Amino acid sequence: MNLHAWTAPLSRRRVLRGAGVSLALPWLEALSARASVGAAGPPMRAIFISNNLGVLPKPFFPEGTGADYTPSSLLERLTAHRADLTVVSGLSHPNVRGGHSTENCFLTAARNPTASGFRNTISLDQFAAERIGHLTRFATLNLGVNIDRGNRSLAWTRDGSLIPAEDRPSRLFERLFVEGTAAEVAARRRRLRERESILDALAADARRLEARVSAADRRRLEQYLTSVRELEDRLQVAGAWEARPRPEAPAARPADVTDRARLFEGFEAMLAMARLALETDSTRLVTLMVDAFATPAFRLADARTTTDGYHNLSHHGQSAEKLAQLEQADRWQMDLLGAFLTALADRREGDGRLLDRTIVLYGSNLGDANTHDNTNLPILLAGGGFRHGSHLAHPHDDNRPLSNLFVSILRRLGIEADAFGSSTGPLAGLGP
Amino acid sequence: MDTAHDERRGGSIQAGRAVVGMLVALTACAARADPAATLAGLVRSACGACHAGGAAEGGLDLDALGLDLADAAVRDRFVLMHDRVAGRQMPPDESDLAPAARAHLVEALSAALVTADAEAIRVEGRVPLRRLNRAEYQETLRDVLALPTLDVADRLPEDLVRDGFNKSAEGLDVSRIQLDATLDAAEAAVTQALPPGASPQAPDHYGAFATRLFAEGQTFGEREAMFFAKDGAALSFTGPQLAALRASLVQDPAIECCIFRSAYWPYYGYPAGFIARRGGVYRVRFRARAVLQQPGFTIGPADQPVPMTFRARRRSGPDVSGDVRAVGGIFDILPEPRDFETTVLLHADQTIEYSVLGLPVPLARNVAGGPPTYRYPPFPEGGQPGVAIQSLEITGPLPPDPWPPASYQALFGTLTFRAAPSGDPLPVEVATSDPVTDARRLLAGFADRAVIAPLNAGDLAPYERLVGDALAAGVPFTRALLTGQAALLASPHVVYLREPRGLDGTAGGGRSMFDLAARLSYWLWGTRPDDVLLARARDGSLAGGATLAAEADRLVADPRFERFIEAFTDYWLDLRHVRRDEPDVRLHPEYRFDDYLAESMALESRAFVTSLIRDNLPARSIVEADFVHANDRLARHYGLPPLAGHAVRRVPLPPGSPRGGLLTQAAIQRVTANGTTTSPVVRGAWVMARLLGQTPPKPPASVPAVEPDIRGATSIRDLLARHAADASCASCHARFDPVGFALESFDICGGWRDRYRGLEEGDLVTGIDRAGHDYAYRLAAPVDPSGRLPDGRAFTDIRALKALLVAEERQIARNLLHQFTAYATGAPVRFADRAELESILDATAGDGYRVGDLLRGLVTSRLFRGLPPAPAPTPSAPEPTP
Repeated sequence: MNLHAWTAPLSRRRVLRGAGVSLALPWLEALSARASVGAAGPPMRAIFISNNLGVLPKPFFPEGTGADYTPSSLLERLTAHRADLTVVSGLSHPNVRGGHSTENCFLTAARNPTASGFRNTISLDQFAAERIGHLTRFATLNLGVNIDRGNRSLAWTRDGSLIPAEDRPSRLFERLFVEGTAAEVAARRRRLRERESILDALAADARRLEARVSAADRRRLEQYLTSVRELEDRLQVAGAWEARPRPEAPAARPADVTDRARLFEGFEAMLAMARLALETDSTRLVTLMVDAFATPAFRLADARTTTDGYHNLSHHGQSAEKLAQLEQADRWQMDLLGAFLTALADRREGDGRLLDRTIVLYGSNLGDANTHDNTNLPILLAGGGFRHGSHLAHPHDDNRPLSNLFVSILRRLGIEADAFGSSTGPLAGLGP
Repeated sequence: MDTAHDERRGGSIQAGRAVVGMLVALTACAARADPAATLAGLVRSACGACHAGGAAEGGLDLDALGLDLADAAVRDRFVLMHDRVAGRQMPPDESDLAPAARAHLVEALSAALVTADAEAIRVEGRVPLRRLNRAEYQETLRDVLALPTLDVADRLPEDLVRDGFNKSAEGLDVSRIQLDATLDAAEAAVTQALPPGASPQAPDHYGAFATRLFAEGQTFGEREAMFFAKDGAALSFTGPQLAALRASLVQDPAIECCIFRSAYWPYYGYPAGFIARRGGVYRVRFRARAVLQQPGFTIGPADQPVPMTFRARRRSGPDVSGDVRAVGGIFDILPEPRDFETTVLLHADQTIEYSVLGLPVPLARNVAGGPPTYRYPPFPEGGQPGVAIQSLEITGPLPPDPWPPASYQALFGTLTFRAAPSGDPLPVEVATSDPVTDARRLLAGFADRAVIAPLNAGDLAPYERLVGDALAAGVPFTRALLTGQAALLASPHVVYLREPRGLDGTAGGGRSMFDLAARLSYWLWGTRPDDVLLARARDGSLAGGATLAAEADRLVADPRFERFIEAFTDYWLDLRHVRRDEPDVRLHPEYRFDDYLAESMALESRAFVTSLIRDNLPARSIVEADFVHANDRLARHYGLPPLAGHAVRRVPLPPGSPRGGLLTQAAIQRVTANGTTTSPVVRGAWVMARLLGQTPPKPPASVPAVEPDIRGATSIRDLLARHAADASCASCHARFDPVGFALESFDICGGWRDRYRGLEEGDLVTGIDRAGHDYAYRLAAPVDPSGRLPDGRAFTDIRALKALLVAEERQIARNLLHQFTAYATGAPVRFADRAELESILDATAGDGYRVGDLLRGLVTSRLFRGLPPAPAPTPSAPEPTP
């Protein structure tokens, strides 16, 4: 949760302590400078899913453009949802090249990930969270399947720090629904206060130091102080949420799929948890990276195991055997997505479907894993009330920025955004 | 001047050249008028045709760039320009800039850059505050808290790699996430420093003989992979029989547990009934011998030692799940039964499993959709090596020694403690009659331990206040003090390293001594200075070059130097990626599941780099040497006479061997390939960048990636033919493709090959691989390792290339200095540093640029000690006008 967007002149700590620890949510909204977002009416959500090896391009992209496109073999698995989804081709992030090295840039569009001194930037979900994250217990949920937690994530802070993904559905369940005993809650509150005091001491110390170091050193210490301040913000909001009880668990606690070979079962489990989180309004922003690259030989839908790890498989070198397995894997992915969309569509929220209030983005940083091609990325957009049902095609040899779609998504979330990443404007063809 | 500019804008290159000559003459006369304007003129005349006045080839627009060398970004561009011009890469047509004019331009650029850079260093320092990376932070906490097995590094985000290492001041930022994780790590660490109870807890004992040595009756691979044996023959039991035997109080000590496969997935390999109740250090004792299995399931003594280790993991199904760590070190199990002993770190709920190295890994597979099948690989001649275990004892967690634990004393000194009431999150309660005074005293004492340089008066105040407020609010003494100590461990005093400055007597001298000690220690040991080094800092003797060099020697000779080698080679040589790619099992069935090979190749490269420094080998050994470091596995891999044992040791090479030197080591070949194919471009570029310090520029964006053809139809050389044929490709590729072509003689794991392998074309080779499956690949086209260097010299193969590359020894040495500088100081070599590095090279040139001497030269350099660069010599120009 990242609330450094607040610029209230008061000491936030003083005000909050004066009002007592337990705060009703609307009070927080009033304090927020950008409180107009989402405060009235049903909330809009977004979930961003990436498979860091993508899908086979030929079986994925459809023939024809516009509303009359002929679905490809993979898109046929999603026929039931044709009216609720849009296929987009010809998008990529400019200057984001380098094969697998681009996976962490999928939601950031940070350029030149392979350059020495590369620094990632804020990811789409974190950017949105700065503006609407305070409205839910969790500003965002960053999830992963088989994910190399230390090195990969879709979620990145403004200053290029990786936000580790949650890769255990059971742990996510705990965070969402398990209250803990009174002792545990008291312990958590004590911890929060303890942490606050530590941050006070660190800030005082760093300010003393600042006064006697060089200008260059001072810049580093400023970074430290900014981090202290951001942590303080986080703690305060966390404190308010601590006082509020968690929602009731609508389902049983899930078991974790620990076997990394069962990638798609893990994906399914994580999608189910994501849906629970959205349904209970525990968060309105979810990121989910399916770390295919880190996946060893894995199980296909017919219970057979692939002949090779997912990464090696993706370098199929035109081998028919490898291609067949990849197609199976891709089909399973489409099926899982379809089931996810069905569940969202079946869920009513007020007078509408949850699907219409949930923007679903599925894609990859790789347009063709075999050749490490980072152009012509596979992009599926569903739900969220956009105008769907088409294949929006952009030039194959002159891609448009994927960030343009991100701008459209931000606006759909009720956030006034003129630009994000390397965007040149919103993406045309998605409706008002 | 302006007229000349207009002329040049409209003119052709020919006119430009004439104008250049004229301008050089003009500017030579005006040399002393205004150096900046002189430089501007020189640059514009040489470069302006393509890079100014509306033209901005290659992204360089001189008009937009300006000439403000005080700006770091501008300065960096000019450094690049200097190097390109000095290296004759710019102008693209070399003849566009006459040698005299080039030399003049380079000198002017150099003088201006040295002045500007030195000034920037004087004002801002050479390197800003550098945050400790997570490995360093963990080692620091381990040393401050006397907790040698503290495990908190993974809580911290992975550090950004910049300038090749995760030690770069600019790359090691602090963010909310970083600080949060640091606080978590610090709090966890101080909590672990407490004793687990009021008195040392007796360790648990576990012992196993015979059928208790293995949890199941068999493991994957069935009988050939594992059986119980007595008197040299396998025993067979039914399920109930085995269960009854296991449950029996009486175990037959003559029964051995024999294992003939490695622990790679899938595997069941743990003793029956052992799980660590509590986390901690456990002592493991076992008795075992190396055996050979013969057909018919009999065993006899082996003729070679067999290497073995253990792995810590949670019990699970046969699949590898969760954390699996190799622990306890590697043993060479001998043909005669012997007792072995080691210690392993286990978390609660973990067990240990036997991990014999280098053996087959039978894997059942559904071939063509049929039922799972495999065959155990054919026995090697003489029998299948394995290990027969006779007994196993595990004791732990070992109680801390001394008692109270040293870690407790680091926090609470001599205060006594008792068990905390149940329900308390901490295990003990410290007794104090005067909490406020004791807290102050202990906090000050802890700060002495935790912070390298002595704190200024008042620096501790925020932490004293923190603890005081907590005590006043009723927080228990133990917790209050831990909070203060954890905060101190996350404070800028601990988390950041400062550059030593002003050791020549100007401001900050005292503190700088400690910063220098810290810099030396974090370089060569990856942790804070020890007491000896701190004493030298305290008494000021570290300022002397001789003491500094002596301390460096002491640190290099110490076992803790290993940490530098590991961290340095992980990044300089990408050894952290040695397991990144699984070898393609269709093309290289012999490498399938061969983790011992990956382990061994990493050991070799580390041993080699250690030897470069400790044995003071000449820098050219990186390219060519008449020895390798090898163990049993590598001797087989490199086709050397067999060696026994897992430890790598130096062995001489037969004359004419292609091995020898870093360039041809297996680990290097592996990290520069992708598991399936090799790429001369990737390898060549890597070698040029990492070993020769000549990083090739990025490829043009519009060029699509090459799709390697593993059918065997076309060779990679054919696919890359355009690099040589097309002049614009060749201008870059000629610099590194040739090295890559020579390295094509090594496959994806560094094995020698004369022919490529493919799947469809070529001579068929079949067999059964290490996982028990049929393989079939084809030997296709012969490898052509010949090439031609950019200067025209040709070579027929890697041996010939090495002989040519050895001539670059000064550049190789220079690159090593650059790597050491970036690693040790947190910033790459700056322009103003170059002159000093050249003088280090000059000093070591006569003796072949020995690496130990290079290191020592860097330690005692002004650069390392934080002294400003020596004043630059004035460029040779016309006499200054008085």
